[in-house]
Amino acid sequence: MKTFPMRFLSISLFVLLAACGSYPKKQGFSKILLSETQPGNPYFSDTTMDYVYRADIDVFKNAFSGLLILKKLGNQHHRIVLTTEMGNVLFDFECVGEHFKVNQILPEMDKKVLKDLLRHDFMVLITENPVFTSSYIQENSGLFETQLLSKNYYYAFKGDTLQKIVRVGHGKEKVNFLFSGINNNIAQQIAIIHANIPLAVHLKRL
Amino acid sequence: MSKFPVLLFLIGVTSFAQEKMDASEAATLRTKVKSLAETTETISSDFVQYKHLDFLSNDIQSSGKLYFKSPNQVKWAYVDPFAYAVIFKENTMYVNNEGKKNQVDIGANKLFGQLNKLIRASVTGDLFDTDEFDISYFKSGANREVRFMPKDDTFSQYVQEFHIIFNNQAEVIAVKMIEPSQDFTHIVFSNRKTNEDLPDAVFVH
Repeated sequence: MKTFPMRFLSISLFVLLAACGSYPKKQGFSKILLSETQPGNPYFSDTTMDYVYRADIDVFKNAFSGLLILKKLGNQHHRIVLTTEMGNVLFDFECVGEHFKVNQILPEMDKKVLKDLLRHDFMVLITENPVFTSSYIQENSGLFETQLLSKNYYYAFKGDTLQKIVRVGHGKEKVNFLFSGINNNIAQQIAIIHANIPLAVHLKRL
Repeated sequence: MSKFPVLLFLIGVTSFAQEKMDASEAATLRTKVKSLAETTETISSDFVQYKHLDFLSNDIQSSGKLYFKSPNQVKWAYVDPFAYAVIFKENTMYVNNEGKKNQVDIGANKLFGQLNKLIRASVTGDLFDTDEFDISYFKSGANREVRFMPKDDTFSQYVQEFHIIFNNQAEVIAVKMIEPSQDFTHIVFSNRKTNEDLPDAVFVH
């Protein structure tokens, strides 16, 4: 006979798995076999490009803006800098694979919670070829499941175009990354909307 | 032909291009800048801003208009490639971000306060009466360049040097804010108009 903790663990795991698995179903997608060729995120993948976006950030009823600058420096190596319009650096991060380095940050922003949150969000933006574990289909739309920094994400494609990345927890959308105005592997607008905390970032390409 | 003499010549040209001023030349410049600042009621000017980050292929360029009304109203209005205006009045920074209005008390933040001082100084160039900077003076042709190095350890983590470049009439023609990483923001002014009528409406948030 199973002990109580074991039974509790089994039930919890079952509930957790059931909840996680339900997101594509809720969206009306059906599971299909993963194909060998998998799509990716091409929006920050060109080392010859300077990706410069005007950023509007709304957080806890405060609004501020600046310029978000992303540059791919090499394979799985990106630099991410936020400056004010007048050029002062607010933060300067460097990502090499999963390693996240803070080159500079304004003391007011130097909080672990904020840096963790930014690390997760930027990792989603710059990861080009996530390893997908399952795939789903609905007409000409595809949904691919993966894990980044131990969080579950679904990549939503229309045809070959990545339109949305969603972080999902317990079957619910936690963070939405929306790409629009897509041309030549560049997204003119990107929105990052958090459901759990009042944080929304709108990026407009300059 | 050996490249060595050419290299020596270039080094020579570079070191002659910018020469340190002597004490009396520096005093003359200070007097000229101060007396111009005292007689300046209004300034309007175009500007082009170049943000240089070493890892980028190109500098990030933006442009707009600068307005100043004595004694202490300053407005930076970016027009291209985005609409963004900042008005500095007393200890408050009023922001208009494409119609979204906001205000920030910069008196409470030492870093912003010091940046604000530099921004105000960018207009008239009069930043001499302060013990917050180590100051050095250079000349290059008809232009004069004054370099301000913050003494405060915290501030110098953000701004290592602040350069103001003056023309022959002691007007500010460019400023350069250099970060410890050697990345910099370079702002070049043009089409400067002094003491023309500038309605108060320009500075209304």
